[in-house]
Amino acid sequence: MTASRAAALSALICVATVATYSLLIGVPAVRNHPEGYVSAFAIAATVAGLGVALGRRWYGWVALVGALGLFIMGSYVNFVLARIPAAPTALALGEPAPDFTLIDAAGRRVSLADYRDRKPVLLVFYRGYW
Amino acid sequence: MAELQGLGAALSDAERAGIEIVAVSPDDNAQSQRLADGLHLNYRFVADRDLAVTRRYGLVHPRGGPDGQDVPRPATVLLDRNGVVRWLSLSSNYQVRPDPRDVVRAVRAL
Repeated sequence: MTASRAAALSALICVATVATYSLLIGVPAVRNHPEGYVSAFAIAATVAGLGVALGRRWYGWVALVGALGLFIMGSYVNFVLARIPAAPTALALGEPAPDFTLIDAAGRRVSLADYRDRKPVLLVFYRGYW
Repeated sequence: MAELQGLGAALSDAERAGIEIVAVSPDDNAQSQRLADGLHLNYRFVADRDLAVTRRYGLVHPRGGPDGQDVPRPATVLLDRNGVVRWLSLSSNYQVRPDPRDVVRAVRAL
């Protein structure tokens, strides 16, 4: 492999990884494996480093800095930002969920107790903005 | 919302009619309704503006929001007719959400 090919391959891995995780984020197999992008950026940085070792060209350094930047950023997002600290919850398998009453999008009151003896309920807590 | 996408398609009409999906978020109702319209499913979106219920459930991710505010930690809970927890998915990484296929399997196992 030549220095230019290594730089191009590294850049290609980075672009393909960013494209995969932005376009296919709705696919559970992609979304639920965030370690995939961290690994891909690590591979891209290694390839770029190899390219620089083969020949110290400006494009080699650009590829290396780019891949390393993505690797550091991705690691920070996945291992620091996205990490949710463990905390005890009021939920346990086989135990009743605490009742609540809240207002729905149509302005109606919704209580968990309304569904008792009527229907199973899938309760989803989500962040709202995504 | 990723966990809600694809769930509608994975369930049959009868299964959709037989279960109530209650989605809780600090979003205001107008925002939730826009989401509901795009999902083609009968969800009840309820607003927990001050996170009081989320907090009571122990599902707050402290300072996890983009502006350092408290946000819910993603959680999906399946309750049977008696209100008893039968299946539970709690994520320790906010990027990871339950696969709709796992949710469907749990619904069918009720």
